[in-house]
Amino acid sequence: MSNFKRSTLTGGAAAPSQRDSVLASLRQTKIVAPVKPVLPAELIATILDYLPVPELLRFARTAKRFREMVYDDTRWVQRIKSMGLWDEAEARRRFEEGVRRQREREKEEMARRAGVGGANGAGGAAGNGIAAEGKTPVTLFDAGVEEERIAQRRKTLEEGFADISLTANGSSDSTAGAAHRDPMVALKVLKSVRSIRGHARQEYGRVYGALAPYYLDLARSLSHTDPVLFRAFRDPEQQAQMLAQLKIFAKSDFAQGWHAREEKLETMIGIFENAVLREFEQGYDAGDYDGRMKRYAHVLVTLNGGVAGIDMFIQNHVLMQQKETLGRPLDCLPSVPNGSILLGPSHDFLGRLATALNEQGAVIDKVFPTSVEVLIPFVERVSEEILGEYLTTLFDEAHDRNVESYLKAVSGIFEQCLLFSDMIKPAKSSKDDFSVTIKQIIIRCFEPHIDLYLSEELDFFKKTSEAQVEAWEKRLFDEEASTESFFMANVNRQAAKRDFLTSFKKVVMMPVNVLPTIPLSSPFATSKPAAAQASSGSDALGLSSSRANTPLPDDRAPSPRQEAPTTELAAKAAIMNSRLEGIKSLFSIEIALNLIHATKSNIERAAVFAKIGGQTGEEAKEQCDAIFVQLLQILGTRHIKAGFDKAVNHLADYNPRNVAEHNQPGVAPLVTFLELVNVGDLIQQMVDVFYVQEMVTTKLTDRDDFLSPAVKEKKRFEQMLDERVAAGLNKGIDVLMDEVEYLCATIQQPTDFNPTASEQMMDIGTTQTATRIVDIVSSHTGMLTGSTDKNMLDVFNQEVGLRLFTALCKHLKRQRISIDGAIKLISDTNHYHAYISTLKNKSLTQYFDALRELSQIYLISPKHAKEIATIIADSDRYYGIFRAEEVYEFAERRADWFVVKRDVERAMYGIGCAVM
Amino acid sequence: MAAPESTIMLTSSDGTDISVERQVAERSILIKNLLADLPGEATTEAIPIPNVNEPVLRKVIEWCDHHKKDPPASAEDDSDSRKKSTDIDEWDQKFMQVDQEMLFEIILAANYLDIKALLDVGCKTVANMIKGKSPDEIRKTFNIQNDFTPEEEDQIRRENEWAEDR
Repeated sequence: MSNFKRSTLTGGAAAPSQRDSVLASLRQTKIVAPVKPVLPAELIATILDYLPVPELLRFARTAKRFREMVYDDTRWVQRIKSMGLWDEAEARRRFEEGVRRQREREKEEMARRAGVGGANGAGGAAGNGIAAEGKTPVTLFDAGVEEERIAQRRKTLEEGFADISLTANGSSDSTAGAAHRDPMVALKVLKSVRSIRGHARQEYGRVYGALAPYYLDLARSLSHTDPVLFRAFRDPEQQAQMLAQLKIFAKSDFAQGWHAREEKLETMIGIFENAVLREFEQGYDAGDYDGRMKRYAHVLVTLNGGVAGIDMFIQNHVLMQQKETLGRPLDCLPSVPNGSILLGPSHDFLGRLATALNEQGAVIDKVFPTSVEVLIPFVERVSEEILGEYLTTLFDEAHDRNVESYLKAVSGIFEQCLLFSDMIKPAKSSKDDFSVTIKQIIIRCFEPHIDLYLSEELDFFKKTSEAQVEAWEKRLFDEEASTESFFMANVNRQAAKRDFLTSFKKVVMMPVNVLPTIPLSSPFATSKPAAAQASSGSDALGLSSSRANTPLPDDRAPSPRQEAPTTELAAKAAIMNSRLEGIKSLFSIEIALNLIHATKSNIERAAVFAKIGGQTGEEAKEQCDAIFVQLLQILGTRHIKAGFDKAVNHLADYNPRNVAEHNQPGVAPLVTFLELVNVGDLIQQMVDVFYVQEMVTTKLTDRDDFLSPAVKEKKRFEQMLDERVAAGLNKGIDVLMDEVEYLCATIQQPTDFNPTASEQMMDIGTTQTATRIVDIVSSHTGMLTGSTDKNMLDVFNQEVGLRLFTALCKHLKRQRISIDGAIKLISDTNHYHAYISTLKNKSLTQYFDALRELSQIYLISPKHAKEIATIIADSDRYYGIFRAEEVYEFAERRADWFVVKRDVERAMYGIGCAVM
Repeated sequence: MAAPESTIMLTSSDGTDISVERQVAERSILIKNLLADLPGEATTEAIPIPNVNEPVLRKVIEWCDHHKKDPPASAEDDSDSRKKSTDIDEWDQKFMQVDQEMLFEIILAANYLDIKALLDVGCKTVANMIKGKSPDEIRKTFNIQNDFTPEEEDQIRRENEWAEDR
């Protein structure tokens, strides 16, 4: 008590300085001598923050300075803001409007003030301040408008208060009419809050006046039966609305103890919510959609967005309990694990689920107000609980049983689910992006499986393709012993092979012609099945139908449905396959077809996921790329490269002298090799078509992206193939020439060009040797036509021609040629020339022109030795290909050389030689 | 930086040196920043606190000592605490049972030394003193001179009748 007195005393001294506000506090900090403590304005403002609203306003009554402090607009704006009801834009608009009105008013006032002085009455003091500053329209309004408003409010408040106390006392309907008004105003009070600068206190006052009584009463009440609120409002809808408002209002309660009050409010809301939920549940159990369920759903939404109601609706939904009736996941797995999958049951399952969902969507539309989204969370939940479980069970089981059926299941059911998502009808409350959202929800169900799926897909492909190649290699190894004879057997079947090659070539040429048009024709081929229910089987069908008229070799294997040789291609391919046995030992086109087929189905499955977009889509695309790369590696490195290497080795080992038979127009390993080149080229074209068809047009990979692994690998594959072909051809030419030389050495009879007198002029056709050589060479060069690119073919032909030329020259120098034999020789050279000119290689033709000219020197009779010399020296005759010395060497091969030599030399070198 | 258990000297406005644990003194943001700016050896000198006298300073230090383990107030706390004040804990309530002059002095010192939590407690205590009092009583408690005419005062009362408790 003594303390108190002292403070009163000191306070007396302090009070005046307090009134000078800011300066005083400034001085306070400077003064060293202790002076009685006075709190500076900012500290008082802080203290005010801790006061509850009624105390705050009572404090305003103590002095003008404090009134200003309490009435400070920001203090009230902050409270409205804390309720989330302050609209800055609206406030600004109003303020600007206010300023405009203020100006008009000022003008008016100026006019009026001329007549009447100090007309402001009670607000006079404030009015002066305004007139001086002109920036506080607040008080100006206060003076006039406020007055009536307060009066009005007081009336309503009093009425409300009376009502409440009345109802609280349990007095009944007699006052109900009057009681009705205030609660109705209170119900909407938060909605009617306006953001007016300078009027925040009034606005807040309105809210406070309407809600605080209920709020404080609620905070004070002990049980849920106590609060006035539940008696003032009978309707659960209104109660919910009030509680929702109070919850917002509680946010503007800064004073001490707010925590306890808010908790209390929360408890009350909780109790209320539970009661409503119970009603809702009962209505739900009774199936009373339009009545109780609808009503209480609305109540719940009003209260707090209806989350609890939606939860309950979803949690206890019958659908969740009836999972089994929709279909059992394991129905999709065939009893025998043969790598297939039955998509029928899952389709039925999804169909039933969609029907159920649509039914529920109708119910939801009936029960819940359109302001809340119930269907989406419901679908989310259903997809999680039912679909997710279904999928997990099915996929896990499938995975355990058979990887292939797992892969098929994942992608097939995913397709179905995408369709399923389209089947779900949006509810009334759904937004525009409903279908997108649903799709995302469905996709989310798959997310846990996708990673595993994609890696399994790659693994599976790797495994199966490697197994295929290995099995083939093993078989090959087993047959290794018989391989050699196989080759020999080939030679015997050369005729059949040639026959086959023509048709084969026709097929091979096709893709080249078709290629440019493929990007045009393929979109409908691939998009159609994608739009339809695209299981991989139907996709393959779509492809085959679109290409039925353009026989492509890779069409043969893709699907069992195409096995029946209905098309021309299929028949040809079947023939081709049986005849290709000859090179089976090196590599098999069948394997290649199988591999490509496997890749196709794998990629098609994975591509379904690429459509999802986003990260998963990217991953799926990458996986497709990886599968393709894998295909190229296995096909290229493991299969084709090994085959080519083997073939090249065979070529290298070939020695014509070791081979007994030389009757056929072909060198066995070379023929094999050339066939290989054809097949390799075929495979490469298949890969290319496949790449364009499956990867580029479906946008799985970008053809122009030179960094893409698929493109890089494809390039490498092609390069590898080219290298092998080049290496093989190099060897092949050697082998061919060996064969040619061998033939020259063995078949050419010494009497061919130097016939004895007896058999003179028996035969003036070409010798057997020339025919054979031309046959053998032309058959090989002919085989390549159309199978490798033109440049390589030209180079090959040129090389063959040159080497043939050299070989022939060498051969010629070993012969002895009489004048009679010369006719034969000339017909031989003509024969060569005729063949070479078919190659249409100009420079090559010149060589053989020269050879033809050369052969004429043997025709000149020894009597004209001088003429021989002229011809030898005439280098123009030989297009510069033979020099005189060389021609001279050839001339030496004349059977009668020693007779004519002197004459020729004399003619060539003149007298000097004669002396010698 | 010196070890946290080191002590520093504070000199009150009336010239008394008080030795304080550094950690305790650093509850004051003012002192903390000051020490952070000073080179290490300078901390041996006494720091003058010109606005706070010895009894108040001791009182403030007592509070700081009790609250030295509290987590330091963060910047965002600053704006938030204004909105939602927590209740005063028991020890603080007891601590604040001082005469009004002392209470004000503590608030001023807390403000000067920049000890947010103490300032809050002080302000809340003052707010509690205002609670439940009529304007007249408030004036008496805080020595405020009424500069309203009775009509003016009545007008304010009527203006804000909506807020009156029932």
